[in-house]
Amino acid sequence: MVSKKKKKYSSGEGAQFMTRKAALKKLQLSLKDFRRICILKGIYPREPRNRKRAQKGAGGIKTLYHTKDIKFLLHEPIIWKLRDLKVYQQKIRRARATREFGRMRKYLRDYPSINIDHIVKERYPTFVDALRDLDDCLTLCFLFSTFPSLKKVPRNQSMLCRRLTVEFMHAVIAAKALRKVFVSIKGYYYQAEFEGQTITWIVPHHFSFQPQNKDEVDFKIMSTFVEFYTMMLGFVNYKLFHSMNLVYPPQLTAGFSPDSEKDLIDEHAYVAERIAALNISLAKVAGANEVEELPEIDIFQSEDGDPQKLEEAKQEAEKVKKLKTMFKGLKFFINREVPREPLVFIIRCFGGEVSWDRDHFVGATFDESDESIAYQIVDRPSMDKQYLSRYYVQPQWVFDSINARTLLPINKYLMGAVLPPHLSPFVDKIKDQVYIPPEERALKDPDFKPLDDEPSGSDIEEASDEDADEKNEQESEEDGDTALARQYQQEIAEDSPSDDEDGEDNLDPEKKKLAKEKKKSMAVVSGVPYKENPYQKQIEDKQAFRLREKLVRKKHRNLYKSMKAGQEKRKKEIWLLRKKRRLHDEKVKEEKKAEKRKQKMQAFEAATA
Amino acid sequence: MSVIKKKKHVSKKNKKAWRKYCDIKDVEEFLEDQRLEERIGKFETKPDSELFVVDTAGDEKPEVTDVKPLSLKQKKRALLNQTPKCFEVLLPTSKVQDPNAKRNHVNPVGAKPTALSKLTQKRRFEKGAYVKKVELVRKNKKIALAKKRKAKEIENTFIKNLWGDELPEVKGIPSTLCDDFVSEEAQLHNVLPEKRLRPKPPPPKTVATRAAIETPHPGVSYNPSYQEHQDLLQEVVQHEEKMMKKEAHLHRVTTKMFSKVTAHDKENQWREEMSAGLPQPHNPATAPSDEETDNEYKAINPPVKNKKKDHKARRKQRERIEERERLKREKIEKKKITDIYKLRKLQSSISAKEKRQAELQAKRTAKREFISATAVPALNAHKPPVREPDLVDPKQLTGDLRNITTNTNLLRDRFESLQRRGALAASKLMMKKKKRVKSYFKPGHKVTEQDIEKYVQKMKGKKDPKKIVIKK
Repeated sequence: MVSKKKKKYSSGEGAQFMTRKAALKKLQLSLKDFRRICILKGIYPREPRNRKRAQKGAGGIKTLYHTKDIKFLLHEPIIWKLRDLKVYQQKIRRARATREFGRMRKYLRDYPSINIDHIVKERYPTFVDALRDLDDCLTLCFLFSTFPSLKKVPRNQSMLCRRLTVEFMHAVIAAKALRKVFVSIKGYYYQAEFEGQTITWIVPHHFSFQPQNKDEVDFKIMSTFVEFYTMMLGFVNYKLFHSMNLVYPPQLTAGFSPDSEKDLIDEHAYVAERIAALNISLAKVAGANEVEELPEIDIFQSEDGDPQKLEEAKQEAEKVKKLKTMFKGLKFFINREVPREPLVFIIRCFGGEVSWDRDHFVGATFDESDESIAYQIVDRPSMDKQYLSRYYVQPQWVFDSINARTLLPINKYLMGAVLPPHLSPFVDKIKDQVYIPPEERALKDPDFKPLDDEPSGSDIEEASDEDADEKNEQESEEDGDTALARQYQQEIAEDSPSDDEDGEDNLDPEKKKLAKEKKKSMAVVSGVPYKENPYQKQIEDKQAFRLREKLVRKKHRNLYKSMKAGQEKRKKEIWLLRKKRRLHDEKVKEEKKAEKRKQKMQAFEAATA
Repeated sequence: MSVIKKKKHVSKKNKKAWRKYCDIKDVEEFLEDQRLEERIGKFETKPDSELFVVDTAGDEKPEVTDVKPLSLKQKKRALLNQTPKCFEVLLPTSKVQDPNAKRNHVNPVGAKPTALSKLTQKRRFEKGAYVKKVELVRKNKKIALAKKRKAKEIENTFIKNLWGDELPEVKGIPSTLCDDFVSEEAQLHNVLPEKRLRPKPPPPKTVATRAAIETPHPGVSYNPSYQEHQDLLQEVVQHEEKMMKKEAHLHRVTTKMFSKVTAHDKENQWREEMSAGLPQPHNPATAPSDEETDNEYKAINPPVKNKKKDHKARRKQRERIEERERLKREKIEKKKITDIYKLRKLQSSISAKEKRQAELQAKRTAKREFISATAVPALNAHKPPVREPDLVDPKQLTGDLRNITTNTNLLRDRFESLQRRGALAASKLMMKKKKRVKSYFKPGHKVTEQDIEKYVQKMKGKKDPKKIVIKK
């Protein structure tokens, strides 16, 4: 007998996919509920390889889901909750229509709430998984924390977002996990590191709420995303606090406790409250010790043990360790025109203490008149009353210092100075074979010294440097003077012309000569020792390298060649640009000299005439 | 029977064998009789009147008496005493006594408590008959409330180490299975499908691989370096140029394809078309000059004559073809010889071509890969908007944090990023249309002064909606 004919699309791609309509029918849900559960469970529509087959021969573009995904949804206990909710909604609607408001209120009171903690666990089986997916979550939560109550967003959602974000910021502060900051037009980009996972998020600039266009963004969908993300962030916060021996939930200011019904009506008051909450140190779990420092990196001899890479990793770890305590023991005072939230967050992250004007905002910890303040952050051209015991710097100094991972010399960031550009720390390091102008290089690593660095000559800077010198003498006993001294030395090193070194160099050969003569007179003539010829060694090395190059397999030879050619090309380009720059600089110097000479001559003539 | 007699010893080992050789018919008959008697009652106990009928009528036919037939109502009333036909099934057919002498009456579900039952219930409640039940109800209520409160609490406090030992309540082994005597395997085996933590199917590739937050271009800094800002602007310009080119192409392919006709031309064309075939007014300029024609019909294309080729022409043609073929063959032969000397050149040309093709192929694959890595997934008939580079207007750059302005909508950015990653199907938001309700007075309806006033007010409100906004 002939076997039964197979039905079309009963196997293969046709059976793998399911249209949204079919999914709705299978799950017995309305579109609204389906959308919600898909977002909560992390089920996304799929793009098939062959659309015609996946749609079972139907034309057009339909939203398709994997049949497996839908089956996964089928076992979700929340589906029953959604069906219950539907009944409740109907009851409420009916009560409202029949104007039985007492009953309606009762239904609203008893409205079942959906607990989705198991979904968080299901989607992120380990904590690291959750951390890995935190970027979107944090950005959306920070964004929603700035929103007022909107029509399609549940009432308590933005409040919850506010609380959770502040808690997360506290976790970052306590763990000293912040690594990079970038101030862009869009907002502040932050990058933190938890358990080896880098988390990047954007915090919008603080403006008043801008009304959103209705047809641009579907608020309902975004609010569902936020619903899940708040749950996730809450559990992540708990875990973070728990691992750092901190009490959760932290006791913040009154505006953040979950059960307080008090609403802060004024937005500015709310922002002030939020920043004040950031400035509170958290309570530790009773009997818990300080979290011990991470041990040093162990060195394992791996198979492809690249000593250079190991060294790099070690250096990186060292730098990060330094970065964590960069502002330790330093006191900062923030002027009122400066956006406080990012600065408070950042400075506290690296161990600094922050305060602000007590009269204007709540939560100040010390006054402006405190003599132990090391830095005052200002964003205005000049100030009437200035203290000698502190530096007046612009806020960009803080951001740039963090990205450079050291306290940068402040002379370019003093009050009223034209700031150097704020560079992005997010550029990839793979592009190392590019020309970097000396100014940028100086910004990136403070150890770099341009060949002929003139005492970069604006009058303001010089004056302020002198001020700084005086100040340094004054405050030798004060807190955090070690860091300041370090910085001072750095500045001196930068500012001082390189004459001294030259002088030393001049001295050295003479001394050497004398020493040599002495030695000669004392020496016992001995056999000829084996003297390594450096040039010979170089040649040998080169030959060995060439031999190794020959051993490159035929398969990879072309690739290797092209790589080498590219390297040469880029090197040449860099060399060319450097040469250009050098010539240009020399020319400028010549011109300057000529002008100076001219001026001198003029002055001389004027004097003699 | 005779068979039995023949055998002396018969096995009666089993029940079956016993039955085979024993005659129990009489016993069975007796029992049958007894059962029948039980069912329909004993013959002896029945009164004679039930068993016998006195035949008084004899052979005579009964007299037809003129009895008035019962009315429908009377018939119905008469039926009232009888058991309804539909309930006859429920009556016992057997006469066997009910073993349970006194059955309890059960109220049907949904029956209302009577005044009497309420009284008895109250009495029993006071007596303490329901204590256990009440306690149970109270306990259940408490459990339900606690559960609800706990769920709400978790939502607000998050005090649960989700990645530790604690399993979420909804998932995991139910408490009924948690017993010392139930083995762990059995517990796991008996967990319901929806109680299991099951591995999530892997997300689509685009969602998994594409970064949620793209690294920002260094030019979007609030105080960018000159070079980086210029790079950013260049990017914007390139993007804009691409868009303009696309638009120009669309214009060229669609709108520009059709030639435009002025209104005047159109009118003329129409006039011409409409007057086709109509007698034209005499115009000496256009009128055909009939001096040259001599009334003879002349076709525009004269007929073709089938002129046959003669033998000579045929031969010549054949020879020509043969000559051409020969020359061609000769040339090929010659080329074969020269090609031997050209081998190296050929080789190089072939290798060059192959190289070129390989390069092109590599380029093509690279391009394809790039497109597949960056293309927005087609999940819907609508396409998510193309990612545009952020434009930072040089005027915006004040260089200090105080005067920062932004022109990007971060929420829209997030929304579109989700769409581009394939986490959301792009869709056009459908706005709800407001229904226009037309109001009018029903004809014949009594219109009062109030109604008119209301109507007038309403119309006023509609005419200038701005005023109302201000009032609010």
